[in-house]
Amino acid sequence: MAENLFIVYAIFAFFSLGATLGLFTRGQKHHTYFTYIPSAFASLLTIILSVVVFSSENTHLTFFNIQHLFDFEIFIDGVSAFFLLIIGLISFAVSIYSLSYSKKFDDKKNNSALGMLFNIFILSMILVVISNNVFFFLIFWELMSLTSFFLVIYEHENKNNLKSGLIYLVMTHLGTGFIFASFILMYTQTGSFSFDSFRDVTIIPQYVKDIAFVLAFVGFGTKAGMVPLHTWLPKAHPSAPSNVSALMSAVMLKIAIYGIVRHLFDFNAVDGSPDYVWLGIGIIIVGSISALVGILYALIENDIKRALAFSSIENVGIIFIGLGFSVVFAAFHLQALSVLSFIASMFHTLNHSIFKGLLFMTAGSVYYSTHTKNIEELGGLIKKMPWTAMMFLIGSIAIVGLPPLNGFISEWLTLQSLLAVFQIPSNILQVSLAFTILVFALTIGLAGATFVRLFGITFLSKGRSTKAVNAVEVPKFMLIGKAILASSCVLLGILPFIGMNLIVSAFNLPYMSSSPFETISITNTSNSNFASLMMPGMLVILASVFVGVFVFVRIIGGKTKTIKYGTWDCGFGNLSEKTQYTATSLAEPIRRIFGVFYKPHNEVDVDFYTKENFYLKKSINVISTTKNIFDEKLYGKTISGSLFVLNKIRKIQSGKVNAYILYIMITLITLLLFVGFGTHE
Amino acid sequence: MSDFSIFEYGLGIFQALLIIVLSPLIVGIMRKIKAKSQKRIGSGIFQLYYDIIKLLKKDEVVSDQSSWLFRYTPWINFVSIASAAFFIPVFLVYSPFGVVGDILFVVGLFALGRFFTMLAGLDVASSFGGLGSSREMMVSALLEPVLFMTIFVIALFYGGTNISTIVTSANDTSILIVPGVLFAMIAFFIIMMAETGKIPFDNPSTHLELTMIHESMVLEYSGKNLALMEWSHAIKQMILFALFVDIFFTWNFVEQISLVGISIGILFFIAKVSALASFTAFIETRVAKWRLFRVSDLIAMAISSSMIGVIFFFL
Repeated sequence: MAENLFIVYAIFAFFSLGATLGLFTRGQKHHTYFTYIPSAFASLLTIILSVVVFSSENTHLTFFNIQHLFDFEIFIDGVSAFFLLIIGLISFAVSIYSLSYSKKFDDKKNNSALGMLFNIFILSMILVVISNNVFFFLIFWELMSLTSFFLVIYEHENKNNLKSGLIYLVMTHLGTGFIFASFILMYTQTGSFSFDSFRDVTIIPQYVKDIAFVLAFVGFGTKAGMVPLHTWLPKAHPSAPSNVSALMSAVMLKIAIYGIVRHLFDFNAVDGSPDYVWLGIGIIIVGSISALVGILYALIENDIKRALAFSSIENVGIIFIGLGFSVVFAAFHLQALSVLSFIASMFHTLNHSIFKGLLFMTAGSVYYSTHTKNIEELGGLIKKMPWTAMMFLIGSIAIVGLPPLNGFISEWLTLQSLLAVFQIPSNILQVSLAFTILVFALTIGLAGATFVRLFGITFLSKGRSTKAVNAVEVPKFMLIGKAILASSCVLLGILPFIGMNLIVSAFNLPYMSSSPFETISITNTSNSNFASLMMPGMLVILASVFVGVFVFVRIIGGKTKTIKYGTWDCGFGNLSEKTQYTATSLAEPIRRIFGVFYKPHNEVDVDFYTKENFYLKKSINVISTTKNIFDEKLYGKTISGSLFVLNKIRKIQSGKVNAYILYIMITLITLLLFVGFGTHE
Repeated sequence: MSDFSIFEYGLGIFQALLIIVLSPLIVGIMRKIKAKSQKRIGSGIFQLYYDIIKLLKKDEVVSDQSSWLFRYTPWINFVSIASAAFFIPVFLVYSPFGVVGDILFVVGLFALGRFFTMLAGLDVASSFGGLGSSREMMVSALLEPVLFMTIFVIALFYGGTNISTIVTSANDTSILIVPGVLFAMIAFFIIMMAETGKIPFDNPSTHLELTMIHESMVLEYSGKNLALMEWSHAIKQMILFALFVDIFFTWNFVEQISLVGISIGILFFIAKVSALASFTAFIETRVAKWRLFRVSDLIAMAISSSMIGVIFFFL
């Protein structure tokens, strides 16, 4: 207990130190060390704190008793500890990365603000996760939103960043409003702002809990980027400096997931009530749509960071699918399957934090070196930045869900829980939920295409502009930061039980494996092996096949020479970088097939040497555009509709004093009537 | 893992080696049948073996634009696809390595190989490679739903995604008459045609940019690397054929392990796979290559077929 409190104080102290030093060491030679080394220490302490909680019991601390309503209570159970671990791990890697990355802003006037906000941002996320009281939860939630807002508009010279910051500000407060409404609703039933009273299942009637959950789901879902409330995410995440983008996508989204999990399994304590079937199906539907829409837009995006942000939406969708299945199974008393889906979902949460943090940091490195985020201007970076390319490749393989990395494990688990729908005792649900697999599979397929495109166009072939040709490898701290997460990807892929045991003990689930080398094994109803996966065994097979084929090729083929020569150019000579496939043309077949979502539009403008002769073309100019139907149809319509209404309302602001006196009088009379009728009863 | 004896592991490795070694033969048989049905003589059925051995001895020419990724892709591709062979039963109803990975894992290994092949296509800075990768991206992304849906149907009917479980229970029952499995079979057949680059999807025997998908990605390879690419493509085809006959035509698996039994099992396996290969090759000569954007119609057909399979299970 006492040492936990000490660690909490130390975390607080280190982040504050980082924030203050960040502000005051501006312009010094080594100012990044003063800012980011404290945050790295604090992140390490966060990891230690979560490990301590895992190995002991829940920590419950109460700070300053201002009034009973506003106790700052700290409550760290396994759930909080799990998310603390995510925050700690990613923040540690990002802090080290930032040691070099933030030098990019050295010539900026307000470069000290970045360090300060960075520290406060991480601290606020930690505080959200450990606070046990509505009041402080919301304060820290708001602190998190506001610091991230300032970080989004940090590079405010760019007008687009300001605009996306504004959209973010509006959307995040919309979400907070829903969360607030949900908590207020719970408060009206329990009469207390403490989360402990919310946990008391007996007080609150079922329908209130359902409504409260739906409100909270919308609120937290907005932060998590669920479709159709996702529109801010692909704008805001890429606008921030890359180290902050990594934190926002890898960690802040998970805080929203934390809110949903806390609400669903702690306050709501999902049980066999039929209401939960519908809540679960709702989550599955939202998750499926988010997954598909997210990856569809990621696929055609030319801004590397924005594509990654869209892919975050997809991954949140996958997490939601797992969560939803867990709820549905629990509602039908299928305990084991519910646990399976839940582990799948949480494992994907952990994995997504790791590889999305890694990918955003590599995208940041590319930006650092080339000063562009547009992949159409990149190419050939694998030769200029070999380590960064390697890290991006590892992240891509992991996020696409290919063996042997960690993404494969969580997607495999999600698929297995999808395959178990036949155990649900309802025919209609069986069939309809079975079709989730179509969406899920399409998402996985498109994710593969997306990352082939992102990696291929950015790192392979010839450089498409001088920016790409002149790129150099990034400083070593940036590489170390990425290497930490890349090695976590590999480790969790080969020994998945490290992650799964963590989740099992964090959420107190009724299953535990003894060694991390064990086989993941699922049995079917007749008790034979339904599916199993043994990653260490797989590694042995892969390695021995490699050795076998290497020896075979050497024996049969002997030693041969390798000659370097130009790429086959059909005899025309001199392949230019213009003849390569571009990012747009690479995605063209898919863009055409899913045209409904993109509304692709090509404008071809041909200029002739002479007007009479259509064969001698001087220049051909093609402008190819796509649209985001959500921005266009949903938000465009909403904004224009509300502007229309507001314009009508504006007419009451006539500027004449007489009119205002009339308004006051009408208000007075209405109030008097109201009071009068009220007292009669 | 301890349920099996060393001897059985030996048999498992032998099964995998059979798939790896016999795969060029099946390609040869298919080419011969195609040639015959087009009134050509065609090359001998062992031609791919000669090709691979000859290519292994040749010097390589690599593009000066390419990176390490281009040079290691054939190895990664070969290792991931050949490793998948360890999970496929050939003459036994199970594979002792079945516990390591299931059919989803095999799909994952194929996807890993394809991921690197698509990247290698982009690496050489020619427009052919990009063209192949772009089309492969589309076909593979669209194919994924059919693939998983078909696996779903099979897993429902046979109680697992573990290949040994599937083959064992398929062998136990005479389940072919069940309509759900028939629909899964149709879908699986279409997947097989698409994954191995058969004619309505892709025409690997030409080097014409209008038709090619897989060939244009490996266009820049030569020597050892080309041999590995060709061979791994053959192995992938063999694995898919083997899975097809294992699941849908389950006759004559070896029950008692004896030398005679195993030999008969192997002969039956070769006969079944050759029959399937001949049928596929024959189909290939009967249809024309479809336009790229009509391929999605064929895939949609496979999706609906597998969906009907699911509905049949729940009826």
